[in-house]
Amino acid sequence: MRFLPLLFPLALFSYTLASQQHTNNWAVLVCSSRYWFNYRHMANALGMYRTVKRLGIPDSNIILMLADDAACNDRNKFSGSVYANPGRHLDLYGDNIEVDYRGYEVTVENFLRLLTGRLEDSVPRSKRLLTDSNSNIFIYLTGHGGNEFLKFQDNEEVSAHDIADAFHQMYQGGRYKEIFFMVDTCQANSMYSKFYSPNILATGSSVVGENSYSHENDYDIGVAVIDSYTHYILEYMEKVNKTSRLTMADLFTSYDVPKIGSHPGVRSDLFSRPLGPQHPMASYGRGHGWKVEGEWTGREQEPYKRDREALITDFFGGVVSVDVEGECESDDFSYRPASEEISKPSPPSFNPSLSSHPKSSSRSYFDSFPFLRASLAFFLLGLLFAFAFGGRISRR
Amino acid sequence: MDAQRPRWQPLQRIRRLLQRNADPNLARIKRRKALYALIGRRIAVLRLSLFFAGYIWMLAIPSSQLDRGVYFDENAMQPAQVNTYWSWKEVHDADRFLDQLELLRDSNATSEQRSQFIANEFRKIGLAASTQSYEFTGVNKGINGSNAYAILSSPRISGVEAMVISASWISRTNEGDGTLNLRGVATVLALSKFLKQYSLWAKDLVFIISDGYMDGMQAFLSAYHGQTQSNLRAQALELTSGVIWTALNIDYPGHSLSHLGIFHEGPNGRLPNQDLLNSFQHIARRTGVPVVLYDHRDDLEYLHWLPENIRNHREIRTYFTQARNLWRHIGYQASGRGSGVHGLFHQYRIDAFTMFALPAAGPHGFHSLGRIIESTLRTTNNLLERLHASFFFYILTNSDRFVKIGNYLPSAILISVAMMFGGLQVWVEAAWAKGPQEEAKTPGAAPMTWVKRRRPILEVLFIMVFTHLFGAMVFFIMSSETYSYFQLAPFLLFLAAYALPLTIPAITPQKRSEAIAPLSLVLKAFNLCLSSTVISIITVLNFSLAACLAVALGIPLSTASSSSTKAVQMVKYSTYVVLGLGWILLRGFAERMIWNWDVLSAWLLPFLCIVYFPLTLQVALVCII
Repeated sequence: MRFLPLLFPLALFSYTLASQQHTNNWAVLVCSSRYWFNYRHMANALGMYRTVKRLGIPDSNIILMLADDAACNDRNKFSGSVYANPGRHLDLYGDNIEVDYRGYEVTVENFLRLLTGRLEDSVPRSKRLLTDSNSNIFIYLTGHGGNEFLKFQDNEEVSAHDIADAFHQMYQGGRYKEIFFMVDTCQANSMYSKFYSPNILATGSSVVGENSYSHENDYDIGVAVIDSYTHYILEYMEKVNKTSRLTMADLFTSYDVPKIGSHPGVRSDLFSRPLGPQHPMASYGRGHGWKVEGEWTGREQEPYKRDREALITDFFGGVVSVDVEGECESDDFSYRPASEEISKPSPPSFNPSLSSHPKSSSRSYFDSFPFLRASLAFFLLGLLFAFAFGGRISRR
Repeated sequence: MDAQRPRWQPLQRIRRLLQRNADPNLARIKRRKALYALIGRRIAVLRLSLFFAGYIWMLAIPSSQLDRGVYFDENAMQPAQVNTYWSWKEVHDADRFLDQLELLRDSNATSEQRSQFIANEFRKIGLAASTQSYEFTGVNKGINGSNAYAILSSPRISGVEAMVISASWISRTNEGDGTLNLRGVATVLALSKFLKQYSLWAKDLVFIISDGYMDGMQAFLSAYHGQTQSNLRAQALELTSGVIWTALNIDYPGHSLSHLGIFHEGPNGRLPNQDLLNSFQHIARRTGVPVVLYDHRDDLEYLHWLPENIRNHREIRTYFTQARNLWRHIGYQASGRGSGVHGLFHQYRIDAFTMFALPAAGPHGFHSLGRIIESTLRTTNNLLERLHASFFFYILTNSDRFVKIGNYLPSAILISVAMMFGGLQVWVEAAWAKGPQEEAKTPGAAPMTWVKRRRPILEVLFIMVFTHLFGAMVFFIMSSETYSYFQLAPFLLFLAAYALPLTIPAITPQKRSEAIAPLSLVLKAFNLCLSSTVISIITVLNFSLAACLAVALGIPLSTASSSSTKAVQMVKYSTYVVLGLGWILLRGFAERMIWNWDVLSAWLLPFLCIVYFPLTLQVALVCII
């Protein structure tokens, strides 16, 4: 039992090591609106589902929340299918769909519990977000919303503050490494305006005071089948494959305002890595089609970021290049009750305006002197061995 | 910021006025008194201007300044978002059905045979179908017939809700003059065959071919909703479905059609939700068929006396077109009968309208009509709740324009307020009399002064209750069976109603002391206040009726007064009685009203007898007491 004191620095060490690159990918895809005329929201979420699955996130790591069952709606002329394009070329509801939360299970409470991990013991693993501090999470929301709220099920709303606080709890509980938050709803950009936890990259479909528009109707299904913003995202994502080196900047600069019909926004001030090569992203939100500049929060910090560029595949799809050195005890999935560590969701110590030198406390040292990592590891391992053998020998 | 800026002058004055009094209650009482005094001083001008504003407003309702374009409010409907598959094959089906229906017509088939034939056709298509025979007893003994109906259960969901597609055997042409609605019936039959192919119906479809014009559907809906009507013997329905949400009534009397007309008024002033009409007209326009309100084509022949350039002025044309529509609307709504078979659905909170195919040589026919109905049904199929979003209180001035409640309601309310002020003024006047000063101590003072006097409330209330009971009696006589047998009955009833109240002045004490106000003044005050209240209440139930009342009662009631000579008194009395009960001498009008009450339970007859006639009788009595 005298090894116990040793475990602590070891754990700390492994934690700092692991920050180099994520080891698993998760996706939470939420369609929060029900009813037949909101077919397109179901299609949005299912389109994302197909894309993240195609890029390598397994079903076990995807939490799909669909507030209604458009496929089996009695008004659906093509029962059992959901299409996102007027020609009905691709059935998004194909043969391998796992909807984790459906119908009336899609509530604000369940969504927030899912994020923070405060679930009953009886909830099965398929309905849990079993992430750790090495997980990159892609969170996609779609539905009807307004300024700083998103409507769930026609009877309740989740506010931007709720999501921001949930994310902070996740941060404090070590439930993510990085989050990519995407939202397609009216006035979507307000949804991420309240975030204050580090390592969150966010994008939304429309600025405050602006609607998010549907893209196309299918005149046999009789409703709009997909929203414009999601349609163009998905269209772009078709270019991406598992080994793609396309960056987030590539995705964001592909936004075409006249086509989408609304002004998408990006928020990267909480995110410590650069979005991509400077030249394309520098002109984001400027030029043809953009009404106002400033839909990119975090433009000022961007030139000072020094790190790996954020790839699309960091969030969509499986882990391609795992840093073997950093691979440590990441099998501890059990959630530590947040109340033990967090007294209250306090305002963040992280100040976005100061992040011109993005150094979060857990990573800065090794980032500046990478060679230290290996030597320190050897040092500690040696110490451990010496201690262990020393103890055994002395007992003899 | 605004604290620094100079305030608006009157505001400042009011503020100073308020600040001077420390006691806010006192200030309030003073303010109120000042206001009352102002109203009292200016009451004549106020009343006149209110009347003026009210009538001018009424005349302005059809202008394009008060209305606005229609719009959808219900997200779920998604009108005109579907491909329609009704095609020439279905048109051919409809033509074959039409051939058979024409055979039936030419062979003088009875109602029973007709409904059996139609039910059999439904069964051949594969639907559950049945017939229902009905018979009216009492005043309208002759009315009987047989309805045919079929139910297509929704394929994938339990049928807790239903949509109705109906056609009456007799078309609404000239308010049911006997023209047959053969093509309408053929359309419903062909539709039932066509719609059965789809599995996307979220509601049951109920196809109804009702016999007669209005009577058949009244019998069907009464039986469907378990409503009992004392003078109706209707067979119970063998098949039933869920709660009916929407109903489309198809009326296609001609050979082809050029326009589709919307008829939407229901009984007793009810209107369907505007979303239904809006989506229909949107769909029809998308399909390429022009939509009009009622059966008006856009020619204003009656304006030919106007000079060319005035007649063709856009604003003038719009005004007269919309005024014509408004006139039709008032006729349908105020009569309490509604404008067609669809109105009967409104009694059961079902949104319904009639699409009337304006008879013409072309260019449209079964093909366009079927596609429009298919698309409209897809739209109503999308509903998740009853129509609730859009407007229930509106006046359609055109098929795509409407007046909101806030833009038409005040017209009648202003008149009613003017009447109320008049009544209160008379009430106050009745309390005072100019009398000689009792103790003239100072010789130089004015010889006359205001003396307070008692107002005989109880007597007046007795008179008023009597007039309403008298009206109720008139109503029971009119709705009795024997009334319609005698040719002379209306005349006799009118004479009786004219002569009997003449005994009232004999009963009431004629000579009374100066300390008591004359009965006529108090009666007038009460009469004006009651009429004003009645008009205000009716405005929200049935605006057209309220507007008619405001026109008929507003000025006449306010100007009533007693006069000294007996002859003038009698002339005034007669005028008011004719205004109040003259309509029973108009044979056609009164008969139709009795029919509406007896068969359709339209409230206009009891209303006229028990409310309207007594009000005019009271004012007639004011003149002779």
